[in-house]
Amino acid sequence: MTRTLKEIMDALKLAVSTSGNLLSSRTVAGGYVGDLLSDVLAHAQKGQVWVTLQTHTNIVAVASSKELCGIIVVNGRTPERATLQKAEEEHIPILVSPLSSYDVVARLCELGVTNREGV
Amino acid sequence: MKDSDLNGTLQTPPTQEMIYELRVQQAMTRHVITVAPEETMEDVSRVLEENRHTGMPVIKWQKMVGIVSVRDLMRCFREGRSLQPVSQWMSKDVATLYADEPLIHAVQKFERRGFGRFPVIDRKTKALVGILTKVDIIRCLLRNLEIDYHDLESRQYIPTKWFSELDCDRTTLSFRYHIDGANFEKAGEVSSKLKHNLQALGLPPDAIRRIAIASFEAEVNLVIYTKGGELAARVEPGKVTVSVVDDGPGIPDVERAMQPGYSTAPDWVRELGFGAGMGLPNIKNCTNEMKLESKVGEGTNLQFTVFT
Amino acid sequence: MKLREIIETLQATVVVNDHDQEMVVERACGSDLMSDVLSKLKPKALLLTGLTTPQSVYTAEMADLSVVCYVRGKKPDAETVRLADERGLVLLCTSLPMYESCGRLYRRGLKGDSEA
Repeated sequence: MTRTLKEIMDALKLAVSTSGNLLSSRTVAGGYVGDLLSDVLAHAQKGQVWVTLQTHTNIVAVASSKELCGIIVVNGRTPERATLQKAEEEHIPILVSPLSSYDVVARLCELGVTNREGV
Repeated sequence: MKDSDLNGTLQTPPTQEMIYELRVQQAMTRHVITVAPEETMEDVSRVLEENRHTGMPVIKWQKMVGIVSVRDLMRCFREGRSLQPVSQWMSKDVATLYADEPLIHAVQKFERRGFGRFPVIDRKTKALVGILTKVDIIRCLLRNLEIDYHDLESRQYIPTKWFSELDCDRTTLSFRYHIDGANFEKAGEVSSKLKHNLQALGLPPDAIRRIAIASFEAEVNLVIYTKGGELAARVEPGKVTVSVVDDGPGIPDVERAMQPGYSTAPDWVRELGFGAGMGLPNIKNCTNEMKLESKVGEGTNLQFTVFT
Repeated sequence: MKLREIIETLQATVVVNDHDQEMVVERACGSDLMSDVLSKLKPKALLLTGLTTPQSVYTAEMADLSVVCYVRGKKPDAETVRLADERGLVLLCTSLPMYESCGRLYRRGLKGDSEA
């Protein structure tokens, strides 16, 4: 079942930090969780939503180069101003959740957001 | 004193858990007397008698080929064949235990197979390393129970009595450690040592956890940003105070540094798993008091207290 | 959730210290960055992480966690294993990515640390 970022935002009650206008159009192909940029660059796949607690500007560059559909920042952290600016420029939606990454993933799975191999 | 009284006051340690935790190698007898298959049962009887054993493994070319017990001996002697070789009387169906198996496996095997002893072999090399009997198990449990009792006693004793028994206006115990800057392999080692010391003193586990976490964060900060520094922990009745000092480079904006998520860590540090910007806020959250002073070019002095 | 159920769910291999398969783990958290783990003070949890350095063991020790499982097919180095062995910390490895690992465990009933 493919969901859009907007559906995810509504279901998980996420706060929008940037590019709110893109949420309805972005479909989510799956999910990736990780905070080590080298891992994300190596394994994340196009169209996945990236769940991370990192908030610095590099996350935008990574999301952009891997063509991820968006970023969910967890633990209620606030992305840095420079990050948000860059995200607007690169059209990368950033959403924020107060929950931990484990709990965000749990809810994404409940919504049916799975990767090709299946959860 | 009835058993129930003892249980009530001393909080018997969980022997059931002990059976899962202790390994066969901790209970077994390492010195194993063995016999070759060509030797006679007469020889065997002499060896068993001298050593007061009830059985022994039969070894040929360093491999265990069987086991011969007192029972085998009795049958043999009853038939008057004591000069026959061991190979004809030994039991070839040998059940063994691995040295690293938990004792519970041994207990289960004893129940299931009804043997009196098990040879113990090394999981990797398959060499014979020892022998285990039921008596060995009991002895090992008793030995560990005694240690546990002492542990319990000392834990109950030290925080309440130790300080008050020493005749002094004020008693403190202090630990000092050096933290190497840029040594990422070892980041956490000092906090780990401090934690063990505090556990040996019998401080409450929750306080120890908070002290350990705060120390760990401070230690990691020193490793990432400085050339090294000193961590000193002072233990007194009611609280532990830790001070972490370095002499550079200093924190330019302390207030910003205290914000969760704010980090000045370079990218390569983040790839090592650090630099999430939670260090100082974590310290603040898990300690009762915290004081941070820093001057660029001179260094940083962090002090925190956890009430015990 | 019990340790053996976790091993089964994640199709994990054990690196060290799996002697108590009935050990109960109450919660799980997933993170590659250790500070994040330390900001929550809930002991007896399972940590899922891609960080295979000694710090993953030290973090587990400070926070009194019971099990560390490395995801994405990552394996801990020798020093990390030695430290874990000394401390009696259970180390597991799974080839599953973090996303699938969290999902599977949650479906089997293992809660995260955001819930009470």
